[in-house]
Amino acid sequence: MVDIRPVLYVNGLLLLALAVAMLFPAALEYAGGHADAATFVASALVSGFGGLILAFGNRPSARLVLTTRQAFLITTSAWVVAAASAALPFAFSSLDLTYTDSYFEAMSGLTTTGATVIVGLDTVGPGILLWRALLHWLGGIGIIVVAVAVLPILRIGGMQLFRMESSEKSEKVRPRVSQIAAGIGTAYVVLTVVCALALWAAGMTWFEAICHALSTLSTGGFSTSDASIGHFGSPLIEWIITFFMMVGGGTFVLYITPWRYRRWALLHDSQIRWFVAFLAFFSLWLAFWQWAVNDATPHDALRQATFSVVSVVTTTGFATTDYSAWGGFAQTVFFVLTFIGGCTGSTSGGIKIFRWEVLFQIARTHVKRLLHPHGIFVIDFNRQRVSDAVVRSVLGFMVLYFFAFALLSIALTALGLDAVTSITGAATALSNVGPGLGDLIGPAGNFKALPDSAKWLLSFGMLLGRLEIFTVLVLFMPVFWRP
Amino acid sequence: MREPTLDLRPIFLVIGLLLSTLALAMLLPAMVDLTARNPDWQVFAAAAAVSLFVGLATLLASRTGPMRLSLRQSFLLTALAWVGAAAVGSLPFAFSTLDLSATDAFFEAMSGITTTGATIIADLETAPPGILLWRAILQWLGGIGAIAMAVAVLPALKIGGMEMFRLEGPETAERVMPRAAGVVSAIIFVYLGVTVALALLLRLQGMTFIEAVVHAMSTISTGGYSTTNASLAAFDSVTIQLTVLVGMVVGGMPFVLLLALFRGGFQTVRRDAQLRWYLGFIVASGAAISAWLWLSRGLGAPAALHHGFFTAASVMTGTGFHTVDYGNWSGLPMAILFFLMFVGGCAGSTSAGIKVFRLQVLLANARVQAVRLLSPNTVAIPYYNRRPVPEAVADSVMGFLFVYALAFAVLAMLLGLLGLDFVTALSSAAAALGNVGPGFGDIVGPGNAYAELPDLAKWLLAAGMLLGRLEMFIVLVLFAPTFWRS
Repeated sequence: MVDIRPVLYVNGLLLLALAVAMLFPAALEYAGGHADAATFVASALVSGFGGLILAFGNRPSARLVLTTRQAFLITTSAWVVAAASAALPFAFSSLDLTYTDSYFEAMSGLTTTGATVIVGLDTVGPGILLWRALLHWLGGIGIIVVAVAVLPILRIGGMQLFRMESSEKSEKVRPRVSQIAAGIGTAYVVLTVVCALALWAAGMTWFEAICHALSTLSTGGFSTSDASIGHFGSPLIEWIITFFMMVGGGTFVLYITPWRYRRWALLHDSQIRWFVAFLAFFSLWLAFWQWAVNDATPHDALRQATFSVVSVVTTTGFATTDYSAWGGFAQTVFFVLTFIGGCTGSTSGGIKIFRWEVLFQIARTHVKRLLHPHGIFVIDFNRQRVSDAVVRSVLGFMVLYFFAFALLSIALTALGLDAVTSITGAATALSNVGPGLGDLIGPAGNFKALPDSAKWLLSFGMLLGRLEIFTVLVLFMPVFWRP
Repeated sequence: MREPTLDLRPIFLVIGLLLSTLALAMLLPAMVDLTARNPDWQVFAAAAAVSLFVGLATLLASRTGPMRLSLRQSFLLTALAWVGAAAVGSLPFAFSTLDLSATDAFFEAMSGITTTGATIIADLETAPPGILLWRAILQWLGGIGAIAMAVAVLPALKIGGMEMFRLEGPETAERVMPRAAGVVSAIIFVYLGVTVALALLLRLQGMTFIEAVVHAMSTISTGGYSTTNASLAAFDSVTIQLTVLVGMVVGGMPFVLLLALFRGGFQTVRRDAQLRWYLGFIVASGAAISAWLWLSRGLGAPAALHHGFFTAASVMTGTGFHTVDYGNWSGLPMAILFFLMFVGGCAGSTSAGIKVFRLQVLLANARVQAVRLLSPNTVAIPYYNRRPVPEAVADSVMGFLFVYALAFAVLAMLLGLLGLDFVTALSSAAAALGNVGPGFGDIVGPGNAYAELPDLAKWLLAAGMLLGRLEMFIVLVLFAPTFWRS
């Protein structure tokens, strides 16, 4: 049997951290004389109290050493419990959301998805808006830490390739995971501050700038307005956000190499190169489509296409225009792009660029092997050989991703949704993008109208995608609970 | 090791044989048209003469000694055989009274020979009987070609894990006959027998002779060409539709097992994991669609069951017949049918798609991976049909899934670029790769013809059909630079 005391302990600490985070929106509401200050204080008290009980009741006597099973359990339960606590302010606030809606909003925030059930964001109090952005930001740093420190050790979907202790790793920036995590945390904060300053300089209010910086770097996609970034109508703001979404979709470990080791690993990293090339390719195609078919001016076409492509591939989900109205080609492309995702060790979801790199090489070597059955072919990533175990993990990950997508889509239609909403909704939840296609959940739509059961299913889909499927899946295997 | 320059003679020899066979097959519709006093018989006679001439010329010019195909020759031969058959098969369409363009004629022939069943012809009711028969013959020949390829060629070429179905070798359970050639000729008899039985049954239930023959041929080959655009809905008879339903299900089964059944190997059939899952898929999706028809569409329970199961089987086996227009269904049945297009029938059947056995291998492998995550030192092995799956097979199958998904995404995006809407682009790409036929929506849904699509889209879809029929890799290999280097 798994000893769940360390699991409860870590969850307790997490609740305490969330309680502290709730004090920021509380202060903001209080300072502005808004109604929801008490909501946040009450939520902080509930979370803090629960956190204290869990943390002190299960405090380990010696240094915390986790087994594999406990690590799996902690990772999944952390997101489930954090969302449950983070949903409290939404449920208690003047918005008067049901707990289902609140949980959906919180899970969408913490998984950096960005699908919202709140209609009329422009009139919502600043505390709630800040809280949504904060959830993205905390979820973003959370997933980077998990991707750097936890997933490689659990060997999820080929992530063992990014194990830090491995002596041949090129990104061996700092020897210890905790130090790397601190470095990444600093980079994350600095980049957020720079993004906020840039947005403020480009014309946003300081509040809007902070909220958008928080949800841009985390590739989340919650905005302060129903019209998302289109609300500001400023090309400069759109380009700034495009740039920082790309930054959020890049590997954060690489950002700390220049000032630690004076080595621009960023420029030589194959994943970053593919990522940028991929974004450029599809941006240009869609810009061409917008220009040739929808009569946009060249600059508008390029800006809108680049923004939307970057927004979907980095799984942010911001919108400037309703791209579902661009026609069949754009809809098909955006549906396909939903699955791509950013780089590993970033805040974005999806299948991720490094896996596509490996998958393409697998296909190529497979063709070669058919022609030369006795040849020896090597798959490499960043000029290093990829072991067979990693290759199989990547393939297995892709298989489960597609299975999860198919099952989730069919389950959603069984709840009464139409086929396009279900299929794109399942894809957007698994990849943590945010908007789907169709009238209901498209870039101009809202998840409010979905039935409650569909919201729970989509929340589960977001969790599944965020934790790279296997982390959640093993908990459902009987072997996991057997002693 | 360097291989010698690609010797094309054996390839042309087989292609010449194939063309001559097709020329002989064209004489059947010629005779039908002649008895119906339709002037189209001249077209078939002329096309037969051309094919026969070209075929014999190729045959004679390429005669070699004893045949021993190298790996590369096998790949090239398999791909060229399908393309050549489609090209020759399109001749009667192009020159007939239908007056199809070269693009349309090739699309129709490729859709036939790959047993897809997507049609260009919008008014089949007025088409001459010879053309209707020729479409069915193409599907029938394509069906037996697909089975022969799956039994004799794909396992040897190790395409997408098909080496699991190698007939020789010690670990094969269903060792029906020692050699592939023997198996294939035995299967042809089974195929012929089932077709004749189906035709008789349909004739007895009130179809005309030509209708019965056409539907029998396109049912067993899971093709889906009918004699009217209303497909099976035009035959308002429950027993006819149920007969076709059974025929489609049989067409999606592994024919090696059918052979075993005829030889009394009932245990092998009963214990076959792929067959069980295949039937399970049809029952589960048929039941779900029936329930939806009953609850949401207000059909009576018998009608709901009848249409639900017919549609599920038709789409999953890649046939594409319809008794009701399922193109405008929304929600649950549409999503189920969309994913069933990818599933396809069993390996070694006439249907295309990813195939049931690959899904089983994928799931078994995923489960083993999850177990290994928990205890890295456990020896966990995936099993398929009570046999361990070699790692090379699991890798091939996963690689196949990736290439299939990639081909689908690229095809759908290219179709979108040509101006097709989202649902049409996605569903016609899936329907072409899975050799299903009709997609969803107003343009390519059941009962509609593909005639409205731009020419380039028709070529893309024809390429997609070929890709799906040849299990991706046979076509991809030809594009590898190393293939042509000597």
